[in-house]
Amino acid sequence: MIRYESQKVARWYLELSLLLFSLQVLIGLWLAINYAFTLPQGLIDVFSFATARAIHTNTLVAWMLLGFMGGAYFILPLECKRELFSVKIAYLQLFVFAGTAVAAVIGFLFGWTQGKPLLEIPVPLDLLIVVAALLFVFNVAMTIFKATERSLIQWMLLAGVTFLSLLYLFGIPFFSDLNADYYYWWWVIHLWVEGAWELITAAIVAFIIIEVTGVERKVVEKWLYVETGLFLFTGLVGTGHHYYWIGAPDYWLWWGGIFSALEPLPVALMVVDTWLHIKARKHPIVNPLLWTYIMGLALFHFLGAGVFGFIHTLPAVNYYTHGSQITVSHGHLAFFGAYALLNLVVFYFAMPQLKGIEKFDDRLGVWGFWTMVIAMVFMGLTFGVAGVLQTYLERILDIGYSTTHMAMMFWFKVVLFFGVIFLCGTLLTVYHLFTLKKVSEG
Amino acid sequence: MTGKTAKTIFWVGTLSSLIVFLWLTFDFHKQESNFVKKDRITEQVVAGKKVWHKYNCNDCHTILGFGGYYAPDMTKAYFRLGENNILSIVMNPERVYKNSFRKMPHLGLSKEEAVQLVEFIRWVGTIENRHWPPQDEKFVKAFRLRETRAQTLNKVDIVMGACGGCHSFDNLGRSIAGDFSDISRRIDYSREALTKLILDPQSVKPDIGMPPQNVSQETAILIADFILSLKTEEVRK
Repeated sequence: MIRYESQKVARWYLELSLLLFSLQVLIGLWLAINYAFTLPQGLIDVFSFATARAIHTNTLVAWMLLGFMGGAYFILPLECKRELFSVKIAYLQLFVFAGTAVAAVIGFLFGWTQGKPLLEIPVPLDLLIVVAALLFVFNVAMTIFKATERSLIQWMLLAGVTFLSLLYLFGIPFFSDLNADYYYWWWVIHLWVEGAWELITAAIVAFIIIEVTGVERKVVEKWLYVETGLFLFTGLVGTGHHYYWIGAPDYWLWWGGIFSALEPLPVALMVVDTWLHIKARKHPIVNPLLWTYIMGLALFHFLGAGVFGFIHTLPAVNYYTHGSQITVSHGHLAFFGAYALLNLVVFYFAMPQLKGIEKFDDRLGVWGFWTMVIAMVFMGLTFGVAGVLQTYLERILDIGYSTTHMAMMFWFKVVLFFGVIFLCGTLLTVYHLFTLKKVSEG
Repeated sequence: MTGKTAKTIFWVGTLSSLIVFLWLTFDFHKQESNFVKKDRITEQVVAGKKVWHKYNCNDCHTILGFGGYYAPDMTKAYFRLGENNILSIVMNPERVYKNSFRKMPHLGLSKEEAVQLVEFIRWVGTIENRHWPPQDEKFVKAFRLRETRAQTLNKVDIVMGACGGCHSFDNLGRSIAGDFSDISRRIDYSREALTKLILDPQSVKPDIGMPPQNVSQETAILIADFILSLKTEEVRK
């Protein structure tokens, strides 16, 4: 029951995204094994932790970007009330992006890397990513310009994807001084997740809320303005919370500390407005699982990004927790809470429509949701325990590296346990989305 | 709240933050030389940074606290390990970490690359970053004071500051080459021989994996005395 033929292109993006999601989680388990056990030299010589980590984080970025792009292509025709500007460009872009991602992963296995964490993709492949991004931004922009009606959601989406693409450029050049290198590295990493990606999230969520609740557009748009305004207000200067220990002026402690302490505010507003809109809904609940995901996104976004970020954002705390497993705890909870769940909202919104299903059988999906959410909460907390232990032993009691990290190994076995459960939840969810069926009558 | 107010909040919030951020970025570059020694970024340092990238070191090790949390932070590694130990580790990790709970892959660096990497790590150590990471401050302090004002440090700080990258004592240091209490019980060297071993290990024990230590003769004597004193303490017990 898609309303526009060109929406179909989204299905390829979403399905590829789901496959990469599974791969990402699988590699994550391998990373936990590296921490939990002592692996033989011969094994790590051919497949090191560094290579596995590069694959884990790059597949994360790739599946999320594919989800955003697919999601944008699915909702744009609806929002613009017309077909996409060009389906051919959309397929070409998918081909370039996916091809580059595959080449990058294979390259990592053979040591072809730019050697910057999270941005390991080598420069020639970076340029192909830029080509894909340009095709995408062009296609989105042209679809919007050709629309007869203008809306805030269109602009917010366009601003988000343009901002996202521009920021990627700051990760490409070689810097000879390490602190400037990391200064601009954060323009990609931080300004993505606490800037551009938030714009896209807010726009997509606003659109889906209007669609499924039937709440008046004017009301949703008002919230959208306020939330994105606060996201950018706190998030832009909030980048400073990464500049405390890189060799930068003192004022970053103040600017970074204060602004990033305010960062949970817009996320909290998102919880409130999602709740209000759901309460004021005009349409009946057709697929309860989609609603569970929407509410889950709002709450987990707040917990993982907002609360767990706030806990260690102030300089006095961050001095001890920076670069420890506390960061890992926050990273996992925030990415899952904000962006994995957002993508899953998009999948559960778009996939049934792409398959012509109005009301789907959601039993497996419900299991998938709760398994993932519960496993991730415990995994995040276990990383947190390992992080507190690390911080306390190594940085407060001043106990040596070996003693500290051997004490942490037990907790990585626990992480591995919850990781396996999380993988089960992921596979259930992916399988469910691939095999969505109409709910049987009666 | 009206739609217009919401729109105003968006533009005022975004633009004010953007202006502050860009202004601070401008100032960051203006003040950069107060925090980093740009004039000391030699060709070797730049080459070393490229080596650092080439072997993807940063996905296991953090530097300035960023990157993989799997292996020790490298910001102040120069003070923790010294030149020869870093060379020895990056050239032959499989040998150095043979008995460690955690291994490092054999990367296959050339000697030239390893030397460049050391130059890069040495330069990174000079970044004024408010004494982060906290656990390495003792190494920085020991490195800076042990040759000139050794009397301001206690013995354990001097010894573990120089040797803690590979040896442990009580709960301090990293035990990949043995704990000093065990070593003191095992060895049978005179003060002179042990001092010589620290400065030029292979001349005393040809098959030893330990590289020559980058410490002065005086510091080496002090370390030797410390290890030998553990022997008598053990005997007394």
